[in-house]
Amino acid sequence: MNRASAQRAHGMTIRRRLLLILIGPLALLLAIGVVLDYAAGIVPLRAAFDQALVNETLAAAAQLRARSGGAVEFDLPPQAIEMLRADKYDTVYYLVLGPHDEYVAGDDGLPTAASGLENPTFLDAQFHGRTIRGVSYRHTTPAGIVTITVAETTNKRDQAWHRMLISILLTDTLQFAAILLLIWVGVRLGLRPLIALRAQIDSRSAQDLAPLDEKHVPGEVRPLTQALNRLFATVSSNAQSQQQFLANAAHQLRTPLAGLQTQLELLRHDTDAVAVRERLIGLLEGTRRLSHTANQLLALARAEPTATAAADFGDVDLRDLAEEAVAKHFDRALRQHIDLGVEATRARARGSAWLLREMLANLVDNALAYTPADGRVTVRCGVTADTAALSYVEVEDDGPGIPPDQRARVTARFYRPPGASGDGCGLGLAIVDEIVRGHHALLDIGSGANDRGTRVRVTFPAA
Amino acid sequence: MRILIIEDDALVADGMRRGLSQVGFAVDHVPSAELAEAALQQENFDLLLVDLGLPGVDGFELVRRLRRGGKSMPVLIVTARDALADRVGALDLGADDYLVKPFALPELAARCRALIRRSKSNSDSGISIGALHLDIPRRETRVQSRAVDLTRREWAILECLALHAGQVVSKDRLQQAISSWDEGITTNAVEVYISRLRGKLGDEVGIRTVRGLGYRLDESPA
Repeated sequence: MNRASAQRAHGMTIRRRLLLILIGPLALLLAIGVVLDYAAGIVPLRAAFDQALVNETLAAAAQLRARSGGAVEFDLPPQAIEMLRADKYDTVYYLVLGPHDEYVAGDDGLPTAASGLENPTFLDAQFHGRTIRGVSYRHTTPAGIVTITVAETTNKRDQAWHRMLISILLTDTLQFAAILLLIWVGVRLGLRPLIALRAQIDSRSAQDLAPLDEKHVPGEVRPLTQALNRLFATVSSNAQSQQQFLANAAHQLRTPLAGLQTQLELLRHDTDAVAVRERLIGLLEGTRRLSHTANQLLALARAEPTATAAADFGDVDLRDLAEEAVAKHFDRALRQHIDLGVEATRARARGSAWLLREMLANLVDNALAYTPADGRVTVRCGVTADTAALSYVEVEDDGPGIPPDQRARVTARFYRPPGASGDGCGLGLAIVDEIVRGHHALLDIGSGANDRGTRVRVTFPAA
Repeated sequence: MRILIIEDDALVADGMRRGLSQVGFAVDHVPSAELAEAALQQENFDLLLVDLGLPGVDGFELVRRLRRGGKSMPVLIVTARDALADRVGALDLGADDYLVKPFALPELAARCRALIRRSKSNSDSGISIGALHLDIPRRETRVQSRAVDLTRREWAILECLALHAGQVVSKDRLQQAISSWDEGITTNAVEVYISRLRGKLGDEVGIRTVRGLGYRLDESPA
């Protein structure tokens, strides 16, 4: 099958498909039925005609008289001969041969069946250019064996067979047509639930994400509608969370913008140098926060698995990333008087270097944000001690820690724990979570050494 | 030190120009790559700040043309785009560093100084980091005007730190810097030399320890 016709076959309706599949075998069945019916009908018909012929031959044989001298006499009155020959449709021939195959009476030259096991013996032959069916009967007389042959042309038989064939063809064809019609109607009725389903889908608006009504859906397509309904549910929950995200993002972006705008308007009329300076410091801080939020929102969008190209994935040296993250945040740690350090052993993972860099940056950023002055933040990487030997990176601080009941919630977008400083936008751990999921890694939020502080560990799957 | 800013956003350009002028750079600004090429034919600059999203010829193309034309001054890409391909692309084309908008002015100034210092250290003889001055051909060290006498290994470590001032230099790397004289030296030895250097250079020179990683020489003292 070439591609075009394959495509056509795929796009066909089930009804047409069923009919196309069934019509070939059905036609074959019809042909076989006709042949079988014909064969079954022709045997008794032929036997009946043959029996009539035999009866005539036996009646003729009864008229034979054998003379004592050995001569055979065929003693048939002319009326009887008329009777014998009389037939509405066929010409009847007869021939009587004596014991030495000498002519006695009838149509000279009529073929005679060779003597065989059966008596009478049937023959099919040509006589005077016409097809004949005959029977030869060997009659034992005192003078010897006399052969009587009666034959007739086949008009009657041909006509009967012809009629029989026509009636068989007619009834079988009618049957065939009736079956096709039944299939057509049956399929139509059988497909009614599917057509109703199609109508239900057709009439929906593109935005309608309500589940499809599965009440009248047949079992065969139920998995399909269930899959569709699951998809609708996912899309609708995604749409909801996106709405939620947009609402939060709008708040996060507009609030600092509103602050900046009002401060700038006030600044325009402010003449007091000290007040101007204070406002400027506030403006700078607001702008910094706004930049941070914009960056985090973009990072979150990029971290979503759908935004990451598989080509970005490769073999990543976690030690390099850990050291890089520490070097990058070292100035901030210095300012906050936090001892930021690294404890790295060789570890590699499969992933996107820039996403993992972003993830570590957020983890270190968080640790620095929640650790008081003179605290300690350590970035570690290595391989787990158990037999699985999985690569991990973790960031540990000795800050106040996250209460166990809040650990599951901190990865929610825009979530900010009670008592959080006004600095962050609540996206850091959401970004981390997104990246961790994109890498099929495991995020574990727990306590640091001696149950103090927070330790966030990301364990990568086996390579 | 002359810097040319190629940036089409007037507000950003003005901010960068003023900010860098305040910390002692001579700054010129052009709004397009075409004007930048004209300016570069007439005058010399120590550093170019290039925006990627310029009208007409974009930042990528400008850097490519400059490098093809044999110009070797350092180029710092300043861009609002941060897609991975942009970062890699710009550095592959011959830019020396990139900074993503928005940025803090001190960060911009520090990057500019680092890039200029790195380019000068290749050709020029001296490196100045805050109060510290190294005369590389003569192997002389001064803090302010005070000459400091260093051993060969102490000098090698300080030179390595100074050439990467503002960046964390790993202990392994410092160890390699001195291992040409002393086979089988340990990283503990690096710690010893660092503490001696701190003693000799005094509080005006900031050599910071990055726990588990190495050291960083900063312009400002601890």
